[in-house]
Amino acid sequence: MSFPKKPASKALGILQNLPRISLANLRPEPGAKKAETRRGRGQHGGNRSGRGHKGERQRGTRPRLGFVGGQTPFYLAIPKYGYNEGHSRRPQYQPLSLRRLQYLIDLGRVDPTHPVDLTQLVNARGVTVQPLKRDYGVQLVDEGADIFSAKINIEVQRASEGAVAAIERNGGVITTSYYDPISLGILIKPVPFFLRGQPIPKRMLPGEDMVRYYTDAESRGYLADPEKIQQARLALALKYGYTLPDISKDELYHMLSMRKDVRQIFFGLAPGWVVSMPEKKILKPTDEKLLKYYRS
Amino acid sequence: MLRCTLLVCGRGVVRLLASSFCSESSALPPNLLLPTNLVDPSRSKRPPPPADCPLPLLRSCDAVVPAHLSAVQTWVETLEARGSEPLGWAQLHPDVFAVAPRLDILHEVETWQKNFKRISHANTKIRSEVRGGGRKPWNQKGSGRARHGSIRSPIWKGGGVSNGPRGPTSYFYMLPMKLRVQGLKVALSSKLAQDDLHIVDSVNISSPDPQDLLHLIREKLWGESVLIVDVGEEFPENILQATASLKTVNIIPAIGLNVHSMLKHEAVVLTLESVRFLEEKLLWHDQRYTPLYPYKLPYSDLP
Repeated sequence: MSFPKKPASKALGILQNLPRISLANLRPEPGAKKAETRRGRGQHGGNRSGRGHKGERQRGTRPRLGFVGGQTPFYLAIPKYGYNEGHSRRPQYQPLSLRRLQYLIDLGRVDPTHPVDLTQLVNARGVTVQPLKRDYGVQLVDEGADIFSAKINIEVQRASEGAVAAIERNGGVITTSYYDPISLGILIKPVPFFLRGQPIPKRMLPGEDMVRYYTDAESRGYLADPEKIQQARLALALKYGYTLPDISKDELYHMLSMRKDVRQIFFGLAPGWVVSMPEKKILKPTDEKLLKYYRS
Repeated sequence: MLRCTLLVCGRGVVRLLASSFCSESSALPPNLLLPTNLVDPSRSKRPPPPADCPLPLLRSCDAVVPAHLSAVQTWVETLEARGSEPLGWAQLHPDVFAVAPRLDILHEVETWQKNFKRISHANTKIRSEVRGGGRKPWNQKGSGRARHGSIRSPIWKGGGVSNGPRGPTSYFYMLPMKLRVQGLKVALSSKLAQDDLHIVDSVNISSPDPQDLLHLIREKLWGESVLIVDVGEEFPENILQATASLKTVNIIPAIGLNVHSMLKHEAVVLTLESVRFLEEKLLWHDQRYTPLYPYKLPYSDLP
């Protein structure tokens, strides 16, 4: 076994015998600075300046992109079909593999003794979500289901069946819930939102295309019936061939059963409250109409 | 060979050569001026403190030193007394004071420092901005002269400039934060490796006379120009008065430490508090998370 030598000791030793590094000695690494091409100068850049010989090329009067001399161009000859229709409005979900989740838990970046939320994942720099690019949250992917062995209470936006099975096999709880884009932006970056001084809004319910997913017990939706979810857990355990551990006898049962209210964005903070960071205070509304609105 | 000649010619070697000719009159002119960045062999290269040093350890590293590295050891001197005996020795973190001497990073950070503040105000008028030139000077055909449309076209004398500098242009750009931090670490390591970094217990000096300070620096053979770095908003009156009138000796707070100043001054003097401050600030970047929002806003988990 070779002893590790101190890095840079050789270079620093050489430096001791060289002249003092000063402003006059600095130069960039050879090959780092490439001279830019200057058109119209010198033997190689000059003459026709890289434009070719005569014609539309040299004279700069070429027709528009896609023009094929008058024949119906390719992009007009092919008939349209809605393959990409509305592609920029489709919801996207950033994938999170179980392998990455296990990695984060092992390194201590995600704390399994508290409910794992999208805020916790983003604080741990495990995923990067961009609500402005039509990201609607995070989806759990079952790559790494065989190495996953952590008991956590996790809340994501989509989950594959294998991922749900892997989490429940280890005695954890998984819920899928919906965050509308504004709530998502607040969820991933809470501090800039609190500094804005606005009251926490209530989370909107999913639209008609997503209601079906979130009321389904198979996908552990947050709007689904708890009894049906229990039946679905048993069915999944039978399907994947593992015994479903009983969480009610677990010491962390209270933490594992923590779930957010349908309109709630943060654990412990209700919609309508204003968090004042410089004063370190929470202001709650007292007006009846406001309370009625935020409770609805 | 060049290095040998450089080593031979040195400021202090004037004395060496003069002493060797002491029997005859010195062949070197008395007003000989040599470049100051030549290595001076007479400058006492004090060896680093040995393991069994009798002087006390005045500072050890606060942050954990990685297992495969060992702390750098340097002497700690004093500015108050005139003698050049050190007070003790100190340990410096290797990830700040013994990083690889990346001269290309130094060059990048130095050019950035020079250029990012630059706004060039050079501006020339184009043919539409030059006064006049709206009317066609003469008929297209019949006059026998070349055809022209305006007297201010770029081929005319007094006409507009076609491709000249246009208005204030900004050369602002930011290097990544970690690159600037690495530049500071490389500069500190290079200064330490070339015996140009000196640690001092505090910045209190005995008298506010600038000449006294210059004598002190010359006695200790620190170099022609010295950059003194201390932490804090208030500095003692003596050092402020002493350095106010001197061009080559300057004092800056530790937050103002930058690569350009370190390279411009031959010697850099850090106090023990500024060493602690710099180590804390520069080592933080090795282990921080990427920012979700600017670091100035409050974070709950980052220190």
